[in-house]
Amino acid sequence: MRRLLIAAALAALPTSAAFAGEDFSAAEVDRIAVHGPWPLPWTADPGNRVSGNAAAIRLGHDLFFDPRLSANRRVACASCHDPARGFQDGRRTGRGLVTGTRNTPGLFNLRHQRWFGWDGGHDNLWSASLRPILDPREMGGKASRVARALRSKSTLDCHYAAAFGKRPDAGDPELLVNVAKAIAAWQETLVSPATPFDQFRAALARQDAQTAAAYPAAAQRGLRLFLGRGQCATCHAGPLFSNGEFGDIGMPFFIKPNGVDPGRQGGIKRLLANPHNLLGAYNDDPTRDNATGTKFLRPEHRNFGEFKVPSLRNLTLTAPYMHNGSLATLREVVKHYSELDEDRLHADGERILKPLHLSEAESADLVAFLESLSPDTPLPVPAAPPAVASCR
Amino acid sequence: MINSRRWRYGEDLRGALVALALGVITSSAQAACPPDATDGAVLKAGELVLAYRPVLAGKPGRIPMAKHFALEVQMCDKAGVSIARLQKVDATMPEHRHGMNYRPLITPLGGGRFRVEGMMLHMAGHWQLVFEIQSGKEATRLTDDVQID
Repeated sequence: MRRLLIAAALAALPTSAAFAGEDFSAAEVDRIAVHGPWPLPWTADPGNRVSGNAAAIRLGHDLFFDPRLSANRRVACASCHDPARGFQDGRRTGRGLVTGTRNTPGLFNLRHQRWFGWDGGHDNLWSASLRPILDPREMGGKASRVARALRSKSTLDCHYAAAFGKRPDAGDPELLVNVAKAIAAWQETLVSPATPFDQFRAALARQDAQTAAAYPAAAQRGLRLFLGRGQCATCHAGPLFSNGEFGDIGMPFFIKPNGVDPGRQGGIKRLLANPHNLLGAYNDDPTRDNATGTKFLRPEHRNFGEFKVPSLRNLTLTAPYMHNGSLATLREVVKHYSELDEDRLHADGERILKPLHLSEAESADLVAFLESLSPDTPLPVPAAPPAVASCR
Repeated sequence: MINSRRWRYGEDLRGALVALALGVITSSAQAACPPDATDGAVLKAGELVLAYRPVLAGKPGRIPMAKHFALEVQMCDKAGVSIARLQKVDATMPEHRHGMNYRPLITPLGGGRFRVEGMMLHMAGHWQLVFEIQSGKEATRLTDDVQID
């Protein structure tokens, strides 16, 4: 209903809207409107029975920062997902117990995502949260270590019992899944704030020319490029600036030495073999309505070398970019699309990607727009959620 | 009121009862043949008429971008309800030379009606919906152009 009201308000605008130089047509205003409103309404994850549960959220927070879950007791989730960096690490590729091959994704706005990981190897957040805990390259954890950590602190033990109705037991086959669901419950609370773009969009909706004019002219020109000649919104769609699916944009998929990253093709294989996917017994949604994506997946040859279309929100916090972290700056990202090497694209893949041949000024405008999708003030490190009354 | 011609086969009736129990039939899905605008987009090939309507979260709506939706399909011919089988439903982006990332499932509901689940048009732009219909040895292909923004 809220979206309808905004659409109605936008429809009431004149046939174009000019603010600080850019004269957006009615069609462009409509296309701007679909990138909001922000933030999106939050709903609990039906596949996670402790989604929104206060005890689970506190437990998940504490476990996220606890290095004792790892094999060497030095690596926590937060070691790579640094709250001060948009829950990223600033490295080209992540480093847990060893250095990995993919860029660490940020953790804002996860509740609204369909697939998790650059290859979409997970269809739910708790499964995606469990993988790094157990992966010998990342944290190398195991059930006995996790249970010991939980029992060693009364606050962890108590919140686990409050969330799941039983004490943590290493012999409980649900222990690791429960821990992952608690960590997911906390991560779901991480929602990035409105950005200068969101303020501009909202100003357009209420025909507030004064506020809209505060949006930098360069960002407005970049927005026009984004929607128009760049065709960026074809994939970077909606309020998240991502369609949540996968694409081949000509990034190298070779891994030194002598390896390749199959991207989405490998992700689909991992997903379907994973007992923690939404078709499995650990999905708490009895209707399985949340498993539609997994149920109807269609593996294709073109999936090889495809990677997830990332959200463009909070980019200024999460450099470097791309699945392999090979582009250090947003200017390099824009240059990649401007000088796109079509020979690197799959013969059976996307055919609309063409080099944009942007001028220096156009590139700067597009960067200004992308920067406007991040908060314009530093984000505070989220405080620990309150302990539930029975655990204080 | 249910048109008696539409329910002449026992299997149709059983299918309809199952569908009613599942809550997938809405009042306009019971429209008589030939389908009209309330049944959604109407496509024709000779005597065959196919109407489809997108359904999101159990309610009729527009085809969304990058979200799963279902289709309710009604097929009619000169005899009324068509006994042809909806063999395949797909969607492609001709200019992009690719289709969907998902393989839809077709469930016959009886009375010339079908439910198609698992559809998703994951990018903005021009899509073509494709319906492949088999009636005996005769195959018919119907398409509809859809713009997703």
